Amino acid sequence: MNFLFYTFILAVAVLLFLLAWSLRAPRKRRTPSLGPLASEQDPGRRHATYLPQIQRALAPADFEFLASRTSRRLARQVGKERRRIALAYLSGVQEDFQRLLKLARVIAILSPEVGAAQEFERLQLGVQFALRCHMIRAELLLGLAPLPQLSGLSQMVSGFAVRMETAITELGERAALATELASSLERRGVDLR
Amino acid sequence: MRLAMATIAPFQDALWALNSAGEALLLTLLVVRKNYRSYPAFSFYLLVDLTMGATVFFVYHLWGFHSATAYGVAWGTKGIVLFARALAVAEVCAHLLSRYRGVWALAWRILLLCAVLVLSYSILAARHDWGLALLTADRGLELSIATVIVVLFLFARYYEVKVEPVVRSLAIGFCLYSCSAVLNNTVLERWLHDYSAFWNLLRMLAFLASLSIWSWALRHSQSEAQTKEILLPSGIYQAIAPEINLRLRLFNEQLGRFWKVEAGPS
Repeated sequence: MNFLFYTFILAVAVLLFLLAWSLRAPRKRRTPSLGPLASEQDPGRRHATYLPQIQRALAPADFEFLASRTSRRLARQVGKERRRIALAYLSGVQEDFQRLLKLARVIAILSPEVGAAQEFERLQLGVQFALRCHMIRAELLLGLAPLPQLSGLSQMVSGFAVRMETAITELGERAALATELASSLERRGVDLR
Repeated sequence: MRLAMATIAPFQDALWALNSAGEALLLTLLVVRKNYRSYPAFSFYLLVDLTMGATVFFVYHLWGFHSATAYGVAWGTKGIVLFARALAVAEVCAHLLSRYRGVWALAWRILLLCAVLVLSYSILAARHDWGLALLTADRGLELSIATVIVVLFLFARYYEVKVEPVVRSLAIGFCLYSCSAVLNNTVLERWLHDYSAFWNLLRMLAFLASLSIWSWALRHSQSEAQTKEILLPSGIYQAIAPEINLRLRLFNEQLGRFWKVEAGPS
C-alpha cells in the first residue's frame, strides 16, 4: 500500500517536472569561444577543421618540453589553458553534431512517412552521444584528459557532414526536390553549411 | 468528520455553482467567438460535463447524497465525462501534430500505447478491492491523460514543433487537472474516511483552475484553418535517414571504444 501510494505521488511529480521541462524555451547553447580566429573565419567551416591546431596545442610532448623549461606555476597555467581549449573544442564538435541532428529531425517532420525504427534509433544514439560527451567533459575537468580521442570524434562528425551534403547533392540532381528541400530547411532555420 | 463536512458543505455548493457558471460562460465564449469550430471535441466535453453536473445535482437533490442511486449515477456520468475528455485531449494532440503527417502517424500510436500501458499498470498495481474499483479506474484514466499530454509535449520539443498558445493552455489545463485528480484519488484511497469530505472540494478547486486557464486562452477568436506544412517527397527521408543513423551509430561506437580504453587502466 505504501509502495503504491508513493509510486503514484512520484509519477505525478515526474509528470509535472517533465511538463515544465518540455514547455520551457530551448536553452541557447553557449559555446566557449575558441578565440577571434574561429569566429572571424568562414562560418561554413566546421570545428573539426581546426583539428590540427588543436592537436598541436594539446600534444603531450609539447607540454613536457614546456614543463621542463619553465616554472611549475606556469606549467600549471598552460595545462589549465589547454583544458579550456579542449573543452571549447568538445563543445564545438557537439554543436556540429547537434546541427546535423536537427537537420535529421527537420527532414523527419517534413516527411509524409517516417520509420519508427529509424526515429527510435536516432533518439537512442543522440542520448548516447550526449552521455558520452558528458563523460569526456568530466574526465577533462578532472584532469584525466582523453585528448587524442577527440580527433576520432571530430573526424566522424565532419565525415557525417560531408556524406549528408553529398546525399543532398545527389538528390539535387532532381532539381525540384532539391529546391523544395532547401527551402523547407531554410524555413526551419537549418544551416547546412 | 461530520463537523468537517458541515463546515465545507457551503463552500462545496458555492464552488459547484461557480464551476457550472464558469463552464457555461466558457461555452458561451466558444460559441460567440466561433471557437467551437476549431475545437469541437473540447466544446462537446464542456457541454457534456455541464449536463452531467446538472444531472448529478438533481439526482442528489431527489435521492440524497448517500443513496445507491446517487452513487451509480455519479460514477456513470463520470465515465461519460471522462470519455468526452479523452476525445478533447485527442483533439489537442491532433491540433499540435497532425499537420506533420509522418511524425503524427508515429506519435498517435505511441501516445495510445502510453495511455494503455499506464492505465493497465494503474489498474493491475492497485489493491484488488472492489469497493475501490471505480476509484482505481478513475485514477488510471486520469494518469493516462496526464501521461499522454506530457509525452505529446516531449514529442513537440524533440521535433521542435511550435506549440500554439491556445493548444498549450488547453493541454496544461487538462494535465494539471488530471495530475491533481490522481493525487486526490491516491490520498482518498489511503485515508478514505478522514479525507472524503475534502475530496470533492479539492477536485472542484482543481477544475476551477483549469477552467480559468482555458477561458483565458480562448478569450479571442482562433483562426480555423491551420497553416499547412509543405511536406517533402517521401524519397528524401528514405534516402537520408538511414545514412544519418549509420553515421551516428559509427560515431557512438567510436566514442564507446574510447570509453572502454580510457576506463581500462584506471
